[in-house]
Amino acid sequence: MNSFSQWWGARNPRVRGTLLTAGSFLIPILIWCLVSYVPFIWHPKVLVETPGAVDYFTTGMLVDREEFADQSAQVAALGQERPTGTSANPIYLPAPHRVAKALYAGFTTPPQSSNGLWLHQSLWHSIQIIFWGFLISSLIGVPLGLLTGTYGTLARLNEPFIEFFRYLPAPAFGALAVAVLGIYDGPKIAIIVIGTFFQQVLVIANTTRKLDPTIIEAARTLGTRGLRLITKVVVPGILPDLYRDQRILLGWAWTYLIVAELIGTSSGITWYITQQARYQHFDNVYAAIILIGIIGFGTDLILARMGRSLFPWDRSREQKS
Amino acid sequence: MKTRSSFSRWLASGVLAASAALSFAAQAAEPLKIGYSDWPGWVAWQVAIDKGWFKEAGVDVKFEWFDYSASMDAFAAGKLDGVTMTNGDTLVTGSGGAKSVMILITDYSNGNDIVVAKQGIKSIADLKGKKIVVEQGLVDHLLLVNALKKAGLKESDVTLVNAKTNEIPQAFAAKDISAAALWQPVARDALKAVPGSKAIYTSADEPGLIYDVLAVKPASAKARRADWLKLMKVWDRVVAYIADPKTQPDAVKIMAAKSGVSPAEYLPLLNGTKLLSLEAAKKVYIKGSGFDSLYGSTKIVDAFNVANKVYKAPENIDSYLDASFTNAK
Repeated sequence: MNSFSQWWGARNPRVRGTLLTAGSFLIPILIWCLVSYVPFIWHPKVLVETPGAVDYFTTGMLVDREEFADQSAQVAALGQERPTGTSANPIYLPAPHRVAKALYAGFTTPPQSSNGLWLHQSLWHSIQIIFWGFLISSLIGVPLGLLTGTYGTLARLNEPFIEFFRYLPAPAFGALAVAVLGIYDGPKIAIIVIGTFFQQVLVIANTTRKLDPTIIEAARTLGTRGLRLITKVVVPGILPDLYRDQRILLGWAWTYLIVAELIGTSSGITWYITQQARYQHFDNVYAAIILIGIIGFGTDLILARMGRSLFPWDRSREQKS
Repeated sequence: MKTRSSFSRWLASGVLAASAALSFAAQAAEPLKIGYSDWPGWVAWQVAIDKGWFKEAGVDVKFEWFDYSASMDAFAAGKLDGVTMTNGDTLVTGSGGAKSVMILITDYSNGNDIVVAKQGIKSIADLKGKKIVVEQGLVDHLLLVNALKKAGLKESDVTLVNAKTNEIPQAFAAKDISAAALWQPVARDALKAVPGSKAIYTSADEPGLIYDVLAVKPASAKARRADWLKLMKVWDRVVAYIADPKTQPDAVKIMAAKSGVSPAEYLPLLNGTKLLSLEAAKKVYIKGSGFDSLYGSTKIVDAFNVANKVYKAPENIDSYLDASFTNAK
């Protein structure tokens, strides 16, 4: 107990932080393991091993627990052979080890089709879609957001429309995007852009407004105008926050990946996910979902670390320990 | 498998009809671009693609792999010369402006579209007064209506519950639901989800209710007729290769790989699809009023689409049908 409290209350904030981070992942995984491996926790189904005398049971069939008991009692009452089975979860919740196996198999199985792709190639394709979508969105969205946040007139001119447009579902523009941009990567990138851009302008405009107005006033008093005001005063003033916004928006872009990739020719990780779900290979589906999570989270970790060395003066997000 | 949804596509194709008209220019030397998707009758093309048979036949084609609805969107947008669809969806796509000609019948559903029912219900007639889940307006709604009619029931004798086909297995498991109409491979999941449930009616009971076709742009059909005919010769070779017991395992391996499942899982799906050689297609591509004729089937689907308000006025069916490709020497 003593050692536990020492461990938990570790003085070194960095060690403590790492432990907590690990814990935030371990807890959900633990719950997943419990639900998967401890037979009495959920397991609403029974996996039939031998059908016994029940006419419609077959080996490998998933049956409701009550139904299994019911049928078992019925044949037992007639003095016939009882079915046997083990309790199981629905097919929609594969156990962790099966997902881990699927993850490994996904990378080691060569493409079956002559023009098929390895999983990592599909994944790389998806990453490129995100990269281009986010880059294009940022090239317009970041400057526009900065200007909108700096100049009230511009804000009144474009913010109402952007507010309106950001509620429109990006996937609904899929067919239009195909008509204009073709069937390959163009429309997919366009959906990422549509999904990200409008949020980006608003978020960055808001961040810009948080800059201490006295700084802008001082700069103006000293004669700074136009582009110089933006590049020499506004941007340096909000850069760490801008960087953080971009990190969040990049995550936002990822959430549009699945709908974007359903448009036009089938490609990327989405093709893998939808196809495997269609044939109920949920271990593969979860493996792919986890993969997206790892890439997204990994990218963010790297960007966060880079941010710390890029903006050593920024203390606003230092973890309180 | 096939997301034979209609309304959104109908809407989209309307918006995009204009752009379709623009894209005819400068296509003469380009490869024929064909969209195909995950249905056994269409995945069959993969055999020819993998084996390089198009090159052997001297026809330059490029097959693009799509999600079914996305493939029709792309065709409606004028980005493809041809696309694989059901005859009903050909009308739906065309009603929005993207007209096409069905030059080739690839197959008809022969058991892959299924009415499943819970234990105790033995036939369609037993469904009277019961609740049935189905995605309304799509082909399996038509399958169900047709089955009810044959059993002497009207649509109003049962209660239809609307659900997306991919979610029907879960809906079917609900207590108050007695049956569901859906297609493979989702039907398989519905049967798995409700132990003791059985298929009480399938498209094999009404062959030709749903034909699957290769539909192409009218302009391309005219301008590239020779190329399309070469392509159809390759199709014949594919059908023969899949039918031959000696080469079938190899074909199933190719097709299963494209769909991302094991050959053992794929075989039943293939068996629920009746692939048509050109010879067999000739017997179906005739004028008639029943399901044994593409004309008849298309006419029935057209009436069904109008009745279910998929589109307002009947389509001019004859403009979609051209048997001359199938009958060409």
